[in-house]
Amino acid sequence: MRKIIMSALAAATIAAPAMATGKVTCDVPESEWQPREALEAQLTAEGWTVRKSKVDGGCYEVYAKDEEGRKIEAYFDPATFEKLYVAQRGKVLFEKK
Amino acid sequence: MKAIVNHRIFFWTLLALPAVAAILSGKDAADQLHGTGEWSARLLILALAISPLVLVARRARWTLWLQQRRRYIGVAAFAYAALHTFYYVMDMETLPAILSEITIISIWTGWLAIIAMLLMALTSNDASMRWLRAGWKKLQRLAYPAAILTLAHWLLIHDGVTAALIHFAPLALLEAYRIAHHLNRRKTPAHA
Repeated sequence: MRKIIMSALAAATIAAPAMATGKVTCDVPESEWQPREALEAQLTAEGWTVRKSKVDGGCYEVYAKDEEGRKIEAYFDPATFEKLYVAQRGKVLFEKK
Repeated sequence: MKAIVNHRIFFWTLLALPAVAAILSGKDAADQLHGTGEWSARLLILALAISPLVLVARRARWTLWLQQRRRYIGVAAFAYAALHTFYYVMDMETLPAILSEITIISIWTGWLAIIAMLLMALTSNDASMRWLRAGWKKLQRLAYPAAILTLAHWLLIHDGVTAALIHFAPLALLEAYRIAHHLNRRKTPAHA
């Protein structure tokens, strides 16, 4: 029992840096992607203040303040810029059906 | 060498290194949240893990070494939580903004966790131990709800579910061992 606990602890410590990301994934060929700057510009025009954006799970992920001043995290299709998911501190505000 | 390693200043320096690195990085407040929160959780987990570790490792020297430093680890866990909260407040900028998200479950669990850790940190000194007597130990057991609130905060706030579970799994395992150990001991009749 003690040995099992000790080896499980060691395994968990070694495995710790390997982390999965994202609850939303996109499967769009990269050749069809539009530039991320274009998405940022579109969102800014719609009243968002974009803090940063990156690629996560094949989608564009944007950290921003929305038109209501809420700090949000949003996912978009990188080709169509379709909105897929928006959350405020983990509270889901929008999820594409 | 041994004297340096065992000196409390050495240990405090060790505990402060991630904070120094974070502050010197000059990152935006919003980008500091993840790292400072993660260090707070790690240290809280470590502080709680020490007692069951002593049990599992049968009072191995390194576990006793950690046990002597548990207070520092616990206070550091609070300090990182305070830094984390500081960056959060900096990022939110205004009180109405902060209050507007306080009803979100991922946020209020964080606030409750730091309140619990604040009470523990304030009483992490010999004077409080004397003053509170038996109540001191009860008060320090706030570490358990603090850990559960921290886990909930981490699981709910972002997509860091895997990271959160990997951090808390060792503690869960150790606590399970401790509970099993105590149940076993109760079953075995005491030797005359």
